[in-house]
Amino acid sequence: MSDRYSFSLTTFSPSGKLVQIEYALNAVAQGVTSIGIKATNGIVIATEKKTASPLIDDSSLEKVANVCPNIGIVYSGMGPDFRVLLTKARKSAQKYKRIYNEYPPTGILVKEVASVMQEFTQSGGVRPFGVSLLIAGYDETGPALYQVDPSGSYWAWKASAIGKNMVNAKTFLEKRYNDDMEIEDAVHTSILTLKEGFEGQMTENSIEIGIIGGDATGFTEGKQQPLFRKLTPSEVKDYLANIA
Amino acid sequence: SSAGYDRHITIFSPEGRLYQVEYAFKAISNSGITTVGVRGQDSVVIVTQKKIPVYPSTVTHIFQLTPYVGCVMTGLIADARAQVTRARQEAADYRYKFGYEISTDMLAKRVANINQVYTQHAAMRPLGVSMILIGYDEERGPQLFKCDPAGYYVGYKATAAGAKQQESLNHLEKKLKKDPDLNFEDTVELAINTLSSVLAADFKATEIEVAIVTREDPKFRTLSVAEIETHLQRIVEKD
Repeated sequence: MSDRYSFSLTTFSPSGKLVQIEYALNAVAQGVTSIGIKATNGIVIATEKKTASPLIDDSSLEKVANVCPNIGIVYSGMGPDFRVLLTKARKSAQKYKRIYNEYPPTGILVKEVASVMQEFTQSGGVRPFGVSLLIAGYDETGPALYQVDPSGSYWAWKASAIGKNMVNAKTFLEKRYNDDMEIEDAVHTSILTLKEGFEGQMTENSIEIGIIGGDATGFTEGKQQPLFRKLTPSEVKDYLANIA
Repeated sequence: SSAGYDRHITIFSPEGRLYQVEYAFKAISNSGITTVGVRGQDSVVIVTQKKIPVYPSTVTHIFQLTPYVGCVMTGLIADARAQVTRARQEAADYRYKFGYEISTDMLAKRVANINQVYTQHAAMRPLGVSMILIGYDEERGPQLFKCDPAGYYVGYKATAAGAKQQESLNHLEKKLKKDPDLNFEDTVELAINTLSSVLAADFKATEIEVAIVTREDPKFRTLSVAEIETHLQRIVEKD
């Protein structure tokens, strides 16, 4: 029983473009904005948690997630597609650990995820993922923030935004970012950036923030090292109070 | 503006939409029935219309997935049976592999992940069904989840699916706005009243199906006609 197409659905247009990837980017641009900022001692990633209805139990929805103790991830675009990539990223991190007995450096993990995304732009009978990812990790070379697109291309950033409001957010970040920012300033700046495009009231339940480095450390694998964690609602509330 | 096969298989349209997924949602609203689920303080209730003339016991939209988790299906009944069968299989595999029953949220996630695959692989179309799952978890209490053809799933305080979905959601939002603590009877009442209100009909006990899980009895079960009658009576007397 052949349940696979044997030909690629993403093919070149006469002008040399891969239109399915461009359309996937349009899907991402309709998604809620996400921000990532690299500081001297760590990284912040944040996103809006926009639920379509007050009936939704928002504690069941997780947009900022951890991949392994030293790497966190956030997305803009199609939630269901993100779940698939998150699972693959987590599995990939564990596979690496089994071989090398330590978690992968950020760049290595990013390469694996990006390679999966690229496969779906070329394999038979599948469409590209409708998400862009911001991957934040802390390894021996220090903090690193990467963006991965539906095409499978990735770059490292000092600060970036993806999703609906990315153009304005990036302009805002260009003005506000400086190389000496510490993680506290970075959290503060990320909240301000999200606020720029935020519709409605920003509360501790309508945004998700994850950090690694700075205060976010823990004892794991036999030593004290930066650990990715999400801010609790009360911590977010404190930050929000400071910008009011 | 569509550029070829984007309406026939799940590839992106120029605006970044998946038409096949959107059409699957249409199949659900065209199904002709509405289903409602409400989560209370220590119970969860699902209610659906029963629209059949003959052999009532074989025509149901409520299915048990494990002793503790059940669901109500809205949409194409054939796709519904396929998804239920698969969900039962997944739950059974989990029980065999790990030695304990799967929780509602994990089963919902599994169903949703399978739905996501259909949105990404052209060889399989998305299913034209919405699955509302309920269960009682020892650690997390009463749980209510909905899985849709897009591969999306999330927990709810209350939700609805089918023909009169939007009207039901509006009704539920209004009633739950003040975040009330609902005991079991209130939960059943809210679910039944929502359905009555949006369909502008007073039901007989044979015209609706109800299924529940409660803290006292966390096993998923459907109410008998007599039990439904008791609840309806109570609602009428309240007025």
